Amino acid sequence: MLGSKLLPWDYGVRNLFRRPSRSALTFGGLTIVVLLVLVVVGFIRGLEKSLAATGNPNVVLVYSLSSAADIENSSIPGSTASLLSASVDGVRRGHGVEYISPELYLGTRITTATVDEPGMGLVRGVTTNAPLVRDRVQIVEGFWPQAGEVLVGRLAHSKLGVQSDDLAVGSEISFDGKTWKVSGRFTAAGSAFESEVWAPLADLQTTLKRQDLSLVAVGMESPQQVADVDMFCRERVDLELKAVAESAYYAALQKHYKPVRMLGWVVVALVAGSGIFAGLNTMYGAVVGRVRELATLQAMGYRRRAILLTLVQEATLLACAAALIACVLGLLLVDGAAVRFTMGAFMLRVDSVGISVACTVAALLGVVGAIPPAAKAMRLPVVEAIKAI
Amino acid sequence: MSLVDVLNVTKEYANGEETIRPLDGVSLSIDEGDYLSLMGASGSGKSTLLNLIAGIDQATSGEINVAGTEITKLSRGKLADWRAAHIGYVFQTHNLIPVLTAYENVELPLLLLPMSAAERRKRVEIAMEAVDLTSRASHYPRQMSGGQEQRVGIARAIVANPTVVVADEPTGSLDDETTEQILQLLSRVNDELGMTLLMVTHDADAGKRAKRQIRLERGRLMENGNETTSTHLRTA
Ligand SMILES: Nc1ncnc2c1ncn2[C@@H]1O[C@H](COP(=O)(O)OP(=O)(O)OP(=O)(O)O)[C@@H](O)[C@H]1O
Ligand SMILES: [Mg+2]
Repeated sequence: MLGSKLLPWDYGVRNLFRRPSRSALTFGGLTIVVLLVLVVVGFIRGLEKSLAATGNPNVVLVYSLSSAADIENSSIPGSTASLLSASVDGVRRGHGVEYISPELYLGTRITTATVDEPGMGLVRGVTTNAPLVRDRVQIVEGFWPQAGEVLVGRLAHSKLGVQSDDLAVGSEISFDGKTWKVSGRFTAAGSAFESEVWAPLADLQTTLKRQDLSLVAVGMESPQQVADVDMFCRERVDLELKAVAESAYYAALQKHYKPVRMLGWVVVALVAGSGIFAGLNTMYGAVVGRVRELATLQAMGYRRRAILLTLVQEATLLACAAALIACVLGLLLVDGAAVRFTMGAFMLRVDSVGISVACTVAALLGVVGAIPPAAKAMRLPVVEAIKAI
Repeated sequence: MSLVDVLNVTKEYANGEETIRPLDGVSLSIDEGDYLSLMGASGSGKSTLLNLIAGIDQATSGEINVAGTEITKLSRGKLADWRAAHIGYVFQTHNLIPVLTAYENVELPLLLLPMSAAERRKRVEIAMEAVDLTSRASHYPRQMSGGQEQRVGIARAIVANPTVVVADEPTGSLDDETTEQILQLLSRVNDELGMTLLMVTHDADAGKRAKRQIRLERGRLMENGNETTSTHLRTA
């Protein structure tokens, strides 16, 4: 399809250095555009990943039927854990312990030492069974909490909007009228648990003057047996319980955040669109001053297509260089940056998807930005263009 | 048949209500090795005729034959390919590419033709030598004087050994001394390299350097007081 002879590659490259300050400005603009695209895609990807990593298909969450989809509103009797243990088969066990984790889950204001304003935090009252069921939870520093102590997730400080040091092992935080000591930190493979604060269940119940639970998380032998728990809950209508696979629960949350993700993609499109205008503007400038030169090339025998391609090459080269720098900056600055969000905190991800989207946007910026001005310059008859100043 | 045959060519421009007709059925034959100067008042159509022969403009009617090709019938793409092989164009303002060195500017037309890199190198060197600028090969246009730039422009026009070299007021923006240099160079291109040359000029002295002098007057092309004709037309 490129039957016509092309202009030397050097010609396009050197033209970029013809007006260095203008090229540099465009380069800066394009870098910012691509970086913005990376941030937004990183946001979308981070959110998706956080929700996807949380759901385990082997784990079933049992909570109250009346709480709709929101576990924070759920209240079930404290005896539910032993009831489930006695009534359902297929519960996983190891070291003589059944994988049944009774939990109290709530959002509450948490105050840290250095900050006056309390932040909205997520607290989960747990027993030592919790890490068995949530098997990606791993203590990376300190110890499992004793009475009056809490274990904090890696991103809990982001959720609270405080410094990581404010939740360092040994520091004190307070919520619900009691002061707690941080005994350790945990990670959970990027899942939503990482933004939570875990306290011993009994201690939390005493503090809150509650005897009920929010939910019971049960680790099953296989995903099929999750259905058995569901069946049990349906049969015992009197208990008013509901069983949902953890993976399904978070998939539903994902759906809940669909508008946010859609908005994210709209922002990507808008940012890319504005970038195209920046690119167009520069290329118009670059081409307008070269009308006579482009006509000279035509008079010499270069076909319009070859000249068009050279102009696209120039713009694309600049855009791709900008994409490269933006990706490097993105990996250094954006990747792993924590973001607060209503349901927790998560990290921005600069992954292959983000980088591909960014590079595609950059290539588009180059091509779409160069074609209209180039085509405009080519439309002028050679005899007229050759007299242009 | 001659090298270039212009047959009954008319060029019109619609300018609102009225029509401008700088060329009104002109005919002309140019033989191989000819050196023609084309003169006439400003706006008489000199550039128009030259551009038609160079294949960068379209005639309203008539035929132009160059070396056996009826260029008035070629498509735009084919015409571009044809120009690459057959036309060397010397512009009034050299029109060198600023980001390319003298050497690269001269090499540019050769990139359109099938030839080895060694052959290309040889041809560029010969052309640079013909204009006496071998020592300036690696200079950029902005590093050269106007006269040197025009010599590079001439080297670029002759490097592909074209069928016809056309020059539209090649000395139009040069001082007397440099003009003399360029005119001598063009004569040598014709004498020593045997190239066919058509030069548009305002300057009667410059025009006299050519072997044939033609004039455009009110849409007609005159030579020695008579209207020019085409040999093609005579034999037809
Ligand atoms: N694109 C155009 N549209 C309308 N008229 C045009 C166009 N190009 C040229 N003309 C007219 O055609 C006539 C011939 O123009 P041309 O450029 O061939 O003149 P010229 O003899 O080369 O003049 P000069 O010596 O000033 O260069 C002029 O009257 C000019 O106004
Ligand atoms: Mg003219």
